[in-house]
Amino acid sequence: MNTRIELRLGGTGGQGLILSAKILADALAAGGQRVAQSQTYEPTSRGGYCNADLVISDTEVDFPITTALDHLVLLDRLAIKPSWPLLKPGALVIADTRLCPELPVGDYRRYHLPLSRTALQLGSERVTNIVALGALVALSGICDRKRIEQAVRAETPRGFLDLNMDALKAGYSVAAAPVAAVAS
Amino acid sequence: MNAIDPTLTGKNAVKLISGNHACALGAIAAGCRFFAGYPITPSSEIAERLARSLPEVDGVFVQMEDEIASIAAVIGASMGGVKAMTATSGPGFSLKQENIGYAAGAEIPCVIVNVMRGGPSTGMPTRPSQADIMQARWGSHGDYPIIVLTPASVSEIYSETIRAFDLAEQCRTPVVLLYDQVIAQLSETVALDGAGHASATRKWASGPRADYKPYDGGSDAIPAMAKPGDGYRTHTTGLTHGEDGFPTQNPEAVTRNLSRLFSKLERHRDLIDSSEALHCDDADVVIVAIGISARAATRAVEQCRAQGARVGLFRPITFWPFPEMQLRQATANARAVLVPEMNTGQLRLVVERVLAGMPVEGIHLFSGEAIAPSDIAARATALARGA
Repeated sequence: MNTRIELRLGGTGGQGLILSAKILADALAAGGQRVAQSQTYEPTSRGGYCNADLVISDTEVDFPITTALDHLVLLDRLAIKPSWPLLKPGALVIADTRLCPELPVGDYRRYHLPLSRTALQLGSERVTNIVALGALVALSGICDRKRIEQAVRAETPRGFLDLNMDALKAGYSVAAAPVAAVAS
Repeated sequence: MNAIDPTLTGKNAVKLISGNHACALGAIAAGCRFFAGYPITPSSEIAERLARSLPEVDGVFVQMEDEIASIAAVIGASMGGVKAMTATSGPGFSLKQENIGYAAGAEIPCVIVNVMRGGPSTGMPTRPSQADIMQARWGSHGDYPIIVLTPASVSEIYSETIRAFDLAEQCRTPVVLLYDQVIAQLSETVALDGAGHASATRKWASGPRADYKPYDGGSDAIPAMAKPGDGYRTHTTGLTHGEDGFPTQNPEAVTRNLSRLFSKLERHRDLIDSSEALHCDDADVVIVAIGISARAATRAVEQCRAQGARVGLFRPITFWPFPEMQLRQATANARAVLVPEMNTGQLRLVVERVLAGMPVEGIHLFSGEAIAPSDIAARATALARGA
């Protein structure tokens, strides 16, 4: 079998999960990797469970839907139930302390991080998805930082460029903070 | 972004695009210059893309008042000589059915995209299904032939959209492009080499005007169409008609015309048929699947083979007319057939008919979720071991 990495950004509709997944997918594609990005969402435009998934491979992706997650980002407690059965043993789990305060026990690497609080401190909770993206890139090492920065730049309207770049870098910092990692 | 972005269609360029985006790009590449539609999840991205890109190539995009008007406008545009398309999903596909029958009967080339979501009725707008297989073939009243294509990946949506236009133009028929929500909204890294650019052209009326008959099938059962402005006398109607295009209920004329209509597709099966067989030659069990279920089956075949179970996959790419001969060939050495599909048994029904006497089992999931490769692999392995 070829290498296959699977990840999910889980939360609710309107949080920008699909955008973050697309940015990451673009960055990985630019680096020459094969990517399949899928999503599940509800008919409501905001709220309701939503997930944006990525399957990453060195060769063409046969089945493009996630079946065993290597990395999981949780931006709402709603996302725990549908995602937990897919989690691989030892998977990386990044969860927002405020929106997803409690996590099940299990065999995984747990990073309970103040993602939305960091976004609020930057001036807008709306960039929580980009803070999360920064933390995910920093902790998983799945994507070159230069490429993710290029992808964020390419996807961001000019008026939000500084905010998004600050959010991405704040995500790196939050992930690097020594208090971040808590053994499950 | 630009409609015909050279970085997207340039040779060997790998890009990340969605299935619906690929459909819009394929339509532009095929020469589609008219789209009329009414937005509906999960097909709306096709309209959204074409709303931007059609004007850039001097094409026309119209958001109509509803789905019925959309297909009617597409038929009108096509009669005017332009390659035309509409896109919809579920309830919208139901609404278009009467006019799809009109296009089939009056032999108006057009492409109808139906992105399958959960049903019946409004169903599950954002969840996938594969339950419109039969509707795509039999949805309009009366007896009529139609071509239905079922791509299984983002890159195949691009190439099959182009082929849909080719077949519509060549055979003077509506063509339905049928794919599920998963691959519609899935983004994949694809290389669109542009090799499949449309080559087919419609057969237009030529020769002496006095001899022209709009529904004379000639030697290949495909009548030549009168191009507006060329001066050929023509008549188009939804009523049964003779070679002159005018309404008739004369039994001989009605029989002759409908027989020709059916023979038209049968005589061009070499152009129309398309399917893929993966590891079928020595397979004890052949999986038959389309769309996202075929993608799951591809992975399942690998998993089965890794465990020593001889399992293959047969995938119709042209679904209607069904590739019956190719399926029989692919299952020539098989002991059983497994049909995973996101409905209660529509494809299985076809397979059972084609392979009468062969044990055929289904995996039917209609919960709004895609079938997992491991579920297919487990059942296929058990069948291969005689369980």
